[in-house]
Amino acid sequence: MDDSRDKLSPEISRRRFLQLAGAYSFAVAAGVDLLVPGELLAMPTSEGYLLVDLKKCQGCGTCMMACAITHSGVASYTLARIQIQQDSFGIWPDDVFMVTCRQCEDAPCVDACPVAPVKANRVRPEFGNVRMIDQKLCIGCKSCIENCPFTPVRVQWDFSIRKSQKCDLCVDTPHLGEKGGPGGIQTCTKVCPVNAISFTKIMPDQSRVDSYYVNLRGPAWAKLGMTTK
Amino acid sequence: MALYGYAGKILHLDLTGQKSDAIDTEKYRRWGGGHGMGSALFWDFCKDKSITDGRHPANVCCVMTSPLNGTVVPSAGGRCEVVGVGVGQYPVSWFTRSNFGGRFSTMLKYAGWDGILITGKAPKAIWVDIRNGKVVFRDASGLWGKGTWATQQEIWRLIGAEPGTRNDWQDLRDLKGGSDRDEGKTTQKPAVLTIGPAGENLTGHGSLIHDAGNGAGQGGFGAVWGSKNLKAISVLGTGGIKVADPQALIRARRTVKEKYVTNWEKPDFRAWTRLGGLPKPIVQVAPPTPDRRPQSCQGCINGCRERYSVGYGNESACQETSWYGPFVRKVAKSRAEDTEINLRCADIVQKYGFNSFVLQTGLHWLEHLHEEGVLGKGKKIPSDLPWEKIGTVEFGEKLIVALSTRKDIGADLADGWVQAALKWGREKDLRTGALQFSYWGCPEHGYDPRAELEWGYGSIMGDRDTNTHCFNQIFTTISAAFAFGMTIRIEAEEMVRLHVRKMAPYAQDRPEVLDFSDANMYSEAVAQLVRWQQHYCRFWKQSALFCDLKWPDFYNTNMPNLEGATGSPDAGEQVFWNAVTGDRISLIDGIELGRRIWNLDNAIWVLQGRHRDMVHFAPYLYETKYEKGELFPFYMWPCRDEKGVWKYTDLMGRKLDKAGFEKWKTVFYRLEGWDPASGWPTRQTLEKMDMSFVADELQKAGRLGGGTS
Repeated sequence: MDDSRDKLSPEISRRRFLQLAGAYSFAVAAGVDLLVPGELLAMPTSEGYLLVDLKKCQGCGTCMMACAITHSGVASYTLARIQIQQDSFGIWPDDVFMVTCRQCEDAPCVDACPVAPVKANRVRPEFGNVRMIDQKLCIGCKSCIENCPFTPVRVQWDFSIRKSQKCDLCVDTPHLGEKGGPGGIQTCTKVCPVNAISFTKIMPDQSRVDSYYVNLRGPAWAKLGMTTK
Repeated sequence: MALYGYAGKILHLDLTGQKSDAIDTEKYRRWGGGHGMGSALFWDFCKDKSITDGRHPANVCCVMTSPLNGTVVPSAGGRCEVVGVGVGQYPVSWFTRSNFGGRFSTMLKYAGWDGILITGKAPKAIWVDIRNGKVVFRDASGLWGKGTWATQQEIWRLIGAEPGTRNDWQDLRDLKGGSDRDEGKTTQKPAVLTIGPAGENLTGHGSLIHDAGNGAGQGGFGAVWGSKNLKAISVLGTGGIKVADPQALIRARRTVKEKYVTNWEKPDFRAWTRLGGLPKPIVQVAPPTPDRRPQSCQGCINGCRERYSVGYGNESACQETSWYGPFVRKVAKSRAEDTEINLRCADIVQKYGFNSFVLQTGLHWLEHLHEEGVLGKGKKIPSDLPWEKIGTVEFGEKLIVALSTRKDIGADLADGWVQAALKWGREKDLRTGALQFSYWGCPEHGYDPRAELEWGYGSIMGDRDTNTHCFNQIFTTISAAFAFGMTIRIEAEEMVRLHVRKMAPYAQDRPEVLDFSDANMYSEAVAQLVRWQQHYCRFWKQSALFCDLKWPDFYNTNMPNLEGATGSPDAGEQVFWNAVTGDRISLIDGIELGRRIWNLDNAIWVLQGRHRDMVHFAPYLYETKYEKGELFPFYMWPCRDEKGVWKYTDLMGRKLDKAGFEKWKTVFYRLEGWDPASGWPTRQTLEKMDMSFVADELQKAGRLGGGTS
């Protein structure tokens, strides 16, 4: 199971590796002080992560629609921060693919944001250090989209306002009606009819692509006659 | 003013001119959505409402969504309604309906359309490519002849949608024939609705199929599309639907999961409820493998289908997986083989776009004819099908191919099974019940009208096998409990009380409406029950598009007071409708709108030629007793005994009384405000519903009812 864009490393794509190597070489050649800005140097880890069970999802799209509704008041696939792809003619378990933002420890999307002096997606302790995008600051350059190393890209492009958006674990959900984020609830986990999405405060293994795919099938699932393996 | 829940436009496809235009949804807003809007569009756009064969070029077909589609309303987000004049019924084909699930209606709304109005006939085979506001008529000569699955996959390829499920976002500009403007990106595949060979060959069995197993079967709409040279409609949308009160919508959705649905941690696997179970696929065979998932329509609270690791059977459920069962059981050497044959034949049905429902009772009849020596090689009804291999995949496939392509016996059966029976000189089979096609040339559903009155009466007063399970779960739940020695969790009197407390405005707190005993079967009370079901369904199920299998939720053993979600202040149908649209309607308001839609439909039937003299069941229902059940050896239903005590009672062993049913029709027509002499609507009734435009057209046709007394 591998949804990273290329095989150089599960964490760092070839494009991103070349970008970083190039930038490092240029800096050294130019005699630039390699001290990095404080917010990059000390990117605190997110206080929450979403995990999914690829073998359990029933493909109802409720998580996608609810995600878009709680964030923007509009039901939509395109505006959903969680994406479910399915192929009706596919073979289980490959007939469904669920993707959520990984809230990367070393988040390329945050690194890439050129907005200054404060990045549009800077991590903020008051929001549990979630990697999120402040659309009031976003300039629509798509750097975050281009630098996400995963397929499909975990950052969405809202073409109607020409800005990026991404999963914020429901920190900024004006239509949720209760507190979201790492200290609150995550809409997708609450509405999923089969509990195929869960929330954890423990950071999944960043060296493995499949560490966000978990087995959420318990005794009830087995009693329904479906595999829990 | 924002039109919450609606996309705002209806797409009109003029196939004759290969032009499209947009109709303002606001003009049809009074009809709610789905069926209501479809009927109103049919009324306005069908130039000849006297037609009785859906293959007539004047026929108009509407594929309609609801404001709730594409949202998280539980088991309402993904249904889609189809209306138009049907094919293959008897004695004529009425203006009728069908319904399918999946993700088509969601995608259509996200593309900016509340429905599709199809008029005219294309000069050659076409498919229609919808990507947001861009609508292109494309040549379908390369698709004609292909099965429904191959057609969908080929359209994905033609558009440039990536196969599989691990794809990146696709920019609509980068797809083949893509737009020049930035219309966003999607990870989703186009949703395609298509016909297969059964529709192309204009057979009454022709279905519309979407994805692997979503089908609009009844009505023969596959033949309607085939007659219009319309192979498929593909839609891809990147927009969204604005919701009036998102917080209320999410709150109600969570209330259903957390309150009305059984708890995952300590589940009640045998909960008595329609809405509140865990995903329990209604596949009628043992699962082929534990390596599978439940699969559902968009927004569903508990999926009723499955996808498997074995490579067959994806998304087929219920009838598709049982039509062949009695025959397979005779040849299968193991349970695994039984499953495999049934599911492989379900796949064949889906691929041919064939409505297998006719075979549920129809294949028994064909076997009977074969055993009688009438049907077969060199027989009076010639057939080269390998009847000795009935029950095998080989026979199943050859049968479906013949019926889909007008070959062998398919040549006669393509235009209607009752018509074929008459042509073959088998009129007596309609009297003995050897051919159980109960109403309007439609097959009996397993819920015999002699026992389950609301099913039969609702079908014959309507346009087809009603296939509305509002009350039917009483039979299946109670009969299964008796059959398998399970606990009766709700006794008869309580069961009836739980239903009628929610049955305003016609039957609230009138338990007698559910009494199907011999003494009550032609009563005003049962007429009120049928009215409630028809009106409720015309709006809440067929226009708002709540799923027939999940709603209404009258009783629910997950609740301490046993009361289901229907009409409840925290998760009733009206709560969801209002949260999405911003309306402030009640459950009863919806039923009243359903009454108007039902009246509009009846007006169309009257213009097609309906008169009460035509409204009869098949003769066997009057002439023979109901003695053999499809599912159980008894038919349990709550009835009052002679002392007025409620008991679950077996309704087998009786027949319908023609005079009694005629009397019941008169009562029903009077309650509806229709002329009891003809069954035609009256001006007074129509004007009270602000439908004088209907009265005017009926009057012009000389078919306006004269009075109600």
